[in-house]
Amino acid sequence: MTGKLSLSELQLIIRDSLYMALPDFYWVVAEISEIKQNYSGHCYLELIEKQDDETIIKARIKAVIWSSRYGFIKSFFENATGESLREDLKVLVKARIEYHELYGLSLVITDIDPSYTLGEMAAKRLLIIKKLEQEGVFGMNKELEIPKVPQRIAVISSRNAAGYSDFMNHLQGNSYKYVFYTALFDAAMQGADTEQSIINALNRIASKSDLFDIVVIIRGGGSQTDLSWFDNYNIAYYVTQFPLPVITGIGHEKDLSVTDMVACKALKTPTAAADYIIETVCETENHLFEISLEIKNFARDIIEESKNRIERSKNTIAPLTILLMADLKKSLSEVSLEVLRLGKEKIYSAGIIIANRQSRFVSAALSFVTVKENLISGFKQAFISRTGISLRRNNNRLSAMENSLQMLDPVNVLKRGYTITSLNDRIIMSAATPCEGETIDTLFSDGKISSRVTGKNEKKPKDTTS
Amino acid sequence: MTKKEFSFNDAVLRIEEILKNIESGELDVDRLSSEVKKASELIKLCQKKLRTTEEEINSIFKEMP
Repeated sequence: MTGKLSLSELQLIIRDSLYMALPDFYWVVAEISEIKQNYSGHCYLELIEKQDDETIIKARIKAVIWSSRYGFIKSFFENATGESLREDLKVLVKARIEYHELYGLSLVITDIDPSYTLGEMAAKRLLIIKKLEQEGVFGMNKELEIPKVPQRIAVISSRNAAGYSDFMNHLQGNSYKYVFYTALFDAAMQGADTEQSIINALNRIASKSDLFDIVVIIRGGGSQTDLSWFDNYNIAYYVTQFPLPVITGIGHEKDLSVTDMVACKALKTPTAAADYIIETVCETENHLFEISLEIKNFARDIIEESKNRIERSKNTIAPLTILLMADLKKSLSEVSLEVLRLGKEKIYSAGIIIANRQSRFVSAALSFVTVKENLISGFKQAFISRTGISLRRNNNRLSAMENSLQMLDPVNVLKRGYTITSLNDRIIMSAATPCEGETIDTLFSDGKISSRVTGKNEKKPKDTTS
Repeated sequence: MTKKEFSFNDAVLRIEEILKNIESGELDVDRLSSEVKKASELIKLCQKKLRTTEEEINSIFKEMP
């Protein structure tokens, strides 16, 4: 031995040797078993390697990502994988060896390749899917029919998750005013407790499965969502075996977890899950509307057709009825004639005496009338002849009167030597009438003479009183 | 669940059946009227179920852990 070294001198030799032997960087595959960021922004990790059966750890090393790189690496990784850097995640890191006198050996990570993790996750997912398929359970929950009206909903979520309140607000504020009943089964939605708490929740719901129509698993609303918690064989298996349809709203835009794949219906967000439930009810109601409309139309058609049938029957029945009535009338009148005839016969045979009396009365009446007629015509003749005689007699009287009248005509009188004396055109019949000196006219049959009264010789009137 | 259980699914099936009967045209007018009435009652019940809160269910759900 040439001499003694101080501890730091030894560390220096180790460090130099390491740096000489491992001059560059390495791409290393490892699993994160611990990860935390300290107050200064540096990220400290523990990386491990497990044996194939995943039980025994066969390698372990500390690692660090300096804050100068951590921001970039973190967001790049999260954007690419949809996963945050977390425990249990397999990563491919670019690292160099660092040796520090105080802190010993560690890896300084300068980059992480997200495509490795993606591949890892996909492979892991594929493995789970394959297993579920081999067991013949993969599509079992999908075979369940979502009820026409999923009103009673068991919700598996974290009480304080933004996704849960999104879901509730959306569901309860639905514009159709549908009523929904929800019961929350609180569970961890990420982290190591996820698997067990979700399985517990599913078990609790299963014990009351007749109270519910569906189960909804809701997450999301947070800044980052770790899908891989749901790439979990046990959760997925429980879902496939669940007696009620499971709807997921786990909130991942890029990819589906195995739980999503086996669920009866997978939606991207809690809000979408609520929408889906509301729409399901709405579709059912619309279906009812359509049916009721169809029933109405068919019923109307049937009634219309019946009406037409009645109308047609009426049109055929009416003429038939008329014919029938005519027939009936005819036979009725025949019957009535027959009845009359029979009736008469009866009357004749039953009342022959009456008939004799009747004929006697008639002949008596007739002879009476004849006598009277003769009488009347006698009167007539007598009247006519008498009237004729009377007329003739009167005629004779009239012509005698005419003769007398002709004889009385003054002209004829004048011709026989009589004259008519008048004073001032008035016939005078007394000698006393004209005064002496007055002129009187004397009318002859052939002319007139005017003469003055020069003297009068009046006859004294006879005393009639004595 | 509740005493007077009303199954929406059963109601819809019944209504669909009534429609089928009417469509087939084998109903006489007397039965038609009673079937239409039945359908209309069921539809009303369904609509009521969608929008009316049943306190019984509400309270069961609230008591859940």
